[in-house]
Amino acid sequence: MITREDILNIALLAKLDVAEDELDNLTKEMSAVVAFADAVNEADIKTESFDNVNNLANVFRSDEVQPSLPNEEIIKNALDSDDGYFVVKKRA
Amino acid sequence: MSEAIGTIKKLNEKLVKKEISCTELTKLYLNEIDKCNGELNAYVNITEETALETAKTVDEKLAKGMEIAPLEGIPMTLKDNISTNGIETTCCSKILKGYKPIYNATVWDHLKSQNAVMLGKTNLDEFAMGSTCETSCFGGAKNPHDTDYVAGGSSGGVSSAVGGNIAAYGLGSDTGGSIRQPASFCGIVGLKPTYGAVSRYGLIAFASSLDQIGPITKTVEDTALVYDAISEFDPKDSTSQGRRNNPTTPTLKNSIKGMKIGILKEYMTGIGDEIAASVENAKEVYKSLGAEIIETSLPAVKYALPVYYILACAEASSNLGRYDGIRYGYKTDRYDSIHEMMCKTRSEGFGAEVKRRILLGTYVLSAGYYDAYYKKAQDLRGAIMKGFNELFEKCDVIIAPTVPMTALKKGQNAGNPTENYLTDLCTVPVNIAGIPAVSVPCGVAKNGMPIGLQIIGPSFSEPTILNAAWQFETATHDSVFKVSPYGVKL
Repeated sequence: MITREDILNIALLAKLDVAEDELDNLTKEMSAVVAFADAVNEADIKTESFDNVNNLANVFRSDEVQPSLPNEEIIKNALDSDDGYFVVKKRA
Repeated sequence: MSEAIGTIKKLNEKLVKKEISCTELTKLYLNEIDKCNGELNAYVNITEETALETAKTVDEKLAKGMEIAPLEGIPMTLKDNISTNGIETTCCSKILKGYKPIYNATVWDHLKSQNAVMLGKTNLDEFAMGSTCETSCFGGAKNPHDTDYVAGGSSGGVSSAVGGNIAAYGLGSDTGGSIRQPASFCGIVGLKPTYGAVSRYGLIAFASSLDQIGPITKTVEDTALVYDAISEFDPKDSTSQGRRNNPTTPTLKNSIKGMKIGILKEYMTGIGDEIAASVENAKEVYKSLGAEIIETSLPAVKYALPVYYILACAEASSNLGRYDGIRYGYKTDRYDSIHEMMCKTRSEGFGAEVKRRILLGTYVLSAGYYDAYYKKAQDLRGAIMKGFNELFEKCDVIIAPTVPMTALKKGQNAGNPTENYLTDLCTVPVNIAGIPAVSVPCGVAKNGMPIGLQIIGPSFSEPTILNAAWQFETATHDSVFKVSPYGVKL
């Protein structure tokens, strides 16, 4: 059972604001979604440990210096930048 | 019912025979987009200038008598979660409006090197999270056979454009059915390749252990052409394997006499009557082609849907952590602290379904719930994968419905998230197991909406499933293929 407090707690972890008027509806919807997900706890079949998909192995490359993306291009997508740096507010 | 129009193969022939120039062809498509897109809402960004520039290059080659590659000069589209250098890529989310990638997705590099003519970027459910395309911040794409119905999702825009003849083909992405389901709803072909076969470099991530890029086309032959062109090993994607030297075109038209085709009873429960009848009919078609039908079962499949939602949301909650307003995309304009800036940016930038999935993902990964949900879902994933592997010891391929129902009416399940999730019932097991599957048209329901048949195979068996799909299409095409009234008639 999901409570209003659960929603506020996970919203804080996920860095999302939940407005007071959204809270009741969201609690109801999330309860339905979690009840849906709960089916995994009623599964009556033998489970298998899962490692990765298709037995993939990590693909390594040799550690050679290659050109990287240009700083001035990367910074273009930021709304706030200064002299090649992203600008954020100072922590209080 | 009639023959597919505007296929890659036909357009290529017209270009080679100089019946039409690439510029004329491109303009024809752009004009039709101009006429139809208001109704279909397939495109969210039209790249006319780039398209005409590429067309000019192709015409110059043709004028010099040079040979052109099969995909060269063919008008196409990309789902708007595939990065295109210098061209806005939004994932149909407010949080990425205005974002212009500074590199190309590898799949787009492959197609661009063949002078593919990109007409524009197409609509999707926000961050590919949805089954109707209606969670897009641009509004949903409509079904090209009847605009009262949805195109499906999440690759609804590509499917609406290809089904509506305003693109010859497109690339979509499939995390839980997002290529196959809309292809089925729009009466066309969609392939979800084996996990690792196609590079995801430049695909904006939703759930990384499930996402795959694949083609959406009008015919199986076109799907084979596009798949062969994009399934190359890519050092920029650490899960990349390429197609392991298994091209699909050489064996596409082989006989399937003696092929063992499985039907799982789990796929045949909880589906609509007309859908069940179409799959039964497909079974008879395959028998007449000399295939052997094996009725079998995989009980673990019934847990695929909750397993999928737990794992996909968990991965999404982590992947979407990057949208903080600092480096790209939308940023709130009123805030006092960095925490407030991030919370407000994310809350104002993400839509309701995305927030719901981030919250569910955060919940199943949080202390106290990890073992009950995430770990349990991973263990069931292992069981589903093993189950499929065992099935493929006795069957070459499995056939199943692509979707338990035909296209939904617009807004049919609005406000009922779990009801919408049921459209993914038959498609998610494939993503969980990392195996390939293709959807081909197999009938038309009484309401005029197309029905799709799914052909599933073991990892890297794309040549086999496309061979089985081509044989089915060739045997049934004229009775199941429906041409949309929209778009270019070539």
